[in-house]
Amino acid sequence: MWLPALFLIVGLTLGLLTDITIPDQYSDYLSIALLAAFDTLFGGIRAHLEGNFEEKVFISGFFFNISLAALLAFIGVQLGIDLYLAAVFAFGVRLFQNIAIIRRKMLEKNNSLLKIEKNKRK
Amino acid sequence: MMKVKTQDKIIISLVCTCVGFMAAVQFQSMREPTKRDTRDLWEIRSQLQVEQKKQQQLYEQIADAEQIISQYQQKSEQQQLITLKESIEELEKKAGLTEVTGSGVKITVQPIFEGTEIRQQYPAITPELLHRLINELNSFGATDIAIENERVINTTPIRYVNGETYVNNHALPPVPLDIYVLSPNPKRLLNYIQVSQSKDYFSIEKLNLIAELQEEITLPEYNGLVRLDMLNVNEAVETGDE
Repeated sequence: MWLPALFLIVGLTLGLLTDITIPDQYSDYLSIALLAAFDTLFGGIRAHLEGNFEEKVFISGFFFNISLAALLAFIGVQLGIDLYLAAVFAFGVRLFQNIAIIRRKMLEKNNSLLKIEKNKRK
Repeated sequence: MMKVKTQDKIIISLVCTCVGFMAAVQFQSMREPTKRDTRDLWEIRSQLQVEQKKQQQLYEQIADAEQIISQYQQKSEQQQLITLKESIEELEKKAGLTEVTGSGVKITVQPIFEGTEIRQQYPAITPELLHRLINELNSFGATDIAIENERVINTTPIRYVNGETYVNNHALPPVPLDIYVLSPNPKRLLNYIQVSQSKDYFSIEKLNLIAELQEEITLPEYNGLVRLDMLNVNEAVETGDE
């Protein structure tokens, strides 16, 4: 799993080095899109751990979630309702769930590895 | 351990790059941009001059105050009293509580009557006009102003009450009326008044301003109570105070 981490760092440095800033009024959209992206990313990791990772679902989910979140925020701005809060809530809850499941899977894997080693020693 | 396909790895990595990029952009957008000093040499120089002038003025004030202190310290009780009275007089003069005599300009406000067939209302002076005029006079270098017999001091109210204009809580008489302005340089003041914007504003209200030089004008003193209970010390720190 070191390759994705490396690429994450590459992306971060790229963003910091290019010195791009977006106008204040669009920062809401970017933040919500970022949240959606994180959600998709953790969803992907979870799916991978559960063994049902599908690249098409992952890629389509990534772009679809981002655009849906941005669209929701946009509609919210037009209607004067803070609709982006709905997206923040939904993505936030899912983020927590995904991370919890990932944690559990990791622990299970560790446990099973330990058991196998113990059995071997016996 | 599960074997991860290379293609999956690449896709996840690319998405990670995307996420990282977005995060970085968001981080940079949220960060307060550092304010840069974009003034050029000329602006800095003029700023410096302004500050130096301020410094000079402050030094002068300090010197004056120190002189007064030394006068108090050196002299006997009798003389101290005299100094005290002198400074009180000085302050009263500044506040407009004494009569002042000096050279200045007399402005007569007269109604203009045009030969129209529509019946014209008798023109009246409004508080807004007076405000504007007084502001302009002050910016032209007027030291003391009186409207008819009402001395204008720093806290003079000019209000519109029941169809009449009140200055110092006394109603102004109908036009024509005189406004007396003292100035150390009356000629210049006169020139300023003759081309002032107030003249235009007054003529919109069908009033004419006629200014003339006067060698000696005596302004009445302000004979009301100076209310200072609404005044507060401005404690806001301004640039250059630290």
